[in-house]
Amino acid sequence: MSFAAIPVQNERRIKFRLRMAYFLLIPLSLIDLLPFVWMIFGSFKSGAEIRQIPPTFFPQQFTLDNYRTVLSEPSLPLMTFYRNSAIIAIANVIQVLFTSSLFGYIFAKFSFKGKKSLYWFILATMMIPSQVTMIPGYLILAKLKLINKLWALILPSAIDAFGIFLFHQFAHSIPNELLDAARVDGASEFQIYRRIVLPQFGPALATFGMLTFMFNWNAYLWPLIVLTEQNVRTLPIILTWYSTRMGNKYNLTMAAAVLVVLPVLFVFTLVQRWIVEGITLSGMKG
Amino acid sequence: MKKGFFRLAPRRDSAERRFVFGTVSPLILYMAFWTLLPLLWGFVLAFFEFNARQAGGPFLGLGGDNPFVGLQHFRDMLNFSPDAPLTVRQFHIGVKITLLFAFLDVPLNLAITLPLAVMIESVHARLKPVFRTIFFLPVLAPSVGVAIMWGYIYHPQRGLLNAILGLFTGKLVGINWVGDPHLVIGGVPIALFAIVIAYLWQDMGYNLVIFIAALQGIPKSLKDAARIDGASAWQMFSRIIVPLLMPTIMLTAILTMISAFQVFDIIQVMTDGGPNNQTQVLLLNIYSYAFRYQRMGWAAAVSLFLFLLVLAISLIQSRMLRAEWEY
Repeated sequence: MSFAAIPVQNERRIKFRLRMAYFLLIPLSLIDLLPFVWMIFGSFKSGAEIRQIPPTFFPQQFTLDNYRTVLSEPSLPLMTFYRNSAIIAIANVIQVLFTSSLFGYIFAKFSFKGKKSLYWFILATMMIPSQVTMIPGYLILAKLKLINKLWALILPSAIDAFGIFLFHQFAHSIPNELLDAARVDGASEFQIYRRIVLPQFGPALATFGMLTFMFNWNAYLWPLIVLTEQNVRTLPIILTWYSTRMGNKYNLTMAAAVLVVLPVLFVFTLVQRWIVEGITLSGMKG
Repeated sequence: MKKGFFRLAPRRDSAERRFVFGTVSPLILYMAFWTLLPLLWGFVLAFFEFNARQAGGPFLGLGGDNPFVGLQHFRDMLNFSPDAPLTVRQFHIGVKITLLFAFLDVPLNLAITLPLAVMIESVHARLKPVFRTIFFLPVLAPSVGVAIMWGYIYHPQRGLLNAILGLFTGKLVGINWVGDPHLVIGGVPIALFAIVIAYLWQDMGYNLVIFIAALQGIPKSLKDAARIDGASAWQMFSRIIVPLLMPTIMLTAILTMISAFQVFDIIQVMTDGGPNNQTQVLLLNIYSYAFRYQRMGWAAAVSLFLFLLVLAISLIQSRMLRAEWEY
């Protein structure tokens, strides 16, 4: 075997490997998309077609009736639920970004008594699964008469331990000279945070904001517990409620599912770069 | 030393102090009310028989109609006799199903996501984000939507899965994937396995992006060296990628396990614990006892148990991460 033969053989091998990767990845990604396709096709089938055994794959008579039915259903004012979900998610993004960036900065750049123990306490709360505080959390909200108020999903979640940790890491890289220069120029401490620190956090704010929005938008268990009246419910709860009521009328359930899942999925896909970044940054799990 | 140069310095110091005081004291009050109080309250509840609908004593409704029962709940958890109360037997089922769920989910997840990440990393740079987006898409969907979609796939008459099986066998297939308690293979209920698949489909994207990021961190020189030495794809995977990614693999395994212990949404929507309690995971147990049957003391005790389970796993994790991983 000559020396030159090795690279040539390797090159062939590498090309073969690349072809194999595509050979596997393309069918796998199609399979991965199948549940979405099945949902979308189901939403365009007529009530008669959805009852066919065995079921059809492509809708044979493409119909928009299911969407009309879902959108005109008086017990399902989707706009109200979109609004509820949006209020909760946006309020949480704003407050969590504010508190996380502020306290991340304070823990990184200021010293005060008990700082270390407070910081460790906050970090330790990340280890506590939410269901441990679920029952007393409910009892507190009941005492405050906040059950069935959107506040129930905003008030208790103003502090995000992971967020504080994240911005604490980022704040270290802000040079002290920059902050001191602003102080000499007579800026107030809050102005320094607002004008100097916050802009430095730019990409991290986007990343963490998207992640927070997504978690709140998709949340199910906690809203299920504290929002029991129809008019205050969020989209995920309303979707299960509707699907239970429709039973086997999958054409309608799927139309509702498409209306609930796809618009946001589309937006999330557009900003997924930030979401992915957030997840890889944290190794965080939902 | 430098501070003496500026007349402003003393005033600055007090401004800083005011700033810190003005922000940190609300934080402490907030944490005390919304984190520490529920935590302690949850701990205390586990030693009471508690029903929120009963008046109970003056302090947090404890006492009176909601009596202190000491370690009774925890003793009950250890009652393995066949005539134990239904709550206790359901708890035991819950522990078993939760562990089964996690031990099915974690290995399957890693066995799929790691090779998938390697494959995605190996294709042309332009197509990488396309594949990543496709496999990441389900992560972005609400788990409730995922549960409803998969419920439709698993439907005995109208579902896609039976239709596909029908195509292959030429017969009408009517398997009730998530509703038939008699479908059990090797001690694993098919209903639970079917849910693991749906959960996996949604959850995979997380680990996938973590692995892709980790793979990008492997020094190119190492990969090139292996390539020049003519390493096969399998050698590359088993001798280079897996050992180098070991810390990441460990971390993801633990995180995946912790979140699998807390699975709720998808099961509550698809089966609500059925058929015949075969998908009755612990969190569903806790939810039912606390908010359907108003047995909050018992539910708090079970939460504490789940917490200790998660804590144990986290401690093992930090042990492992502290171990030296050398490249």
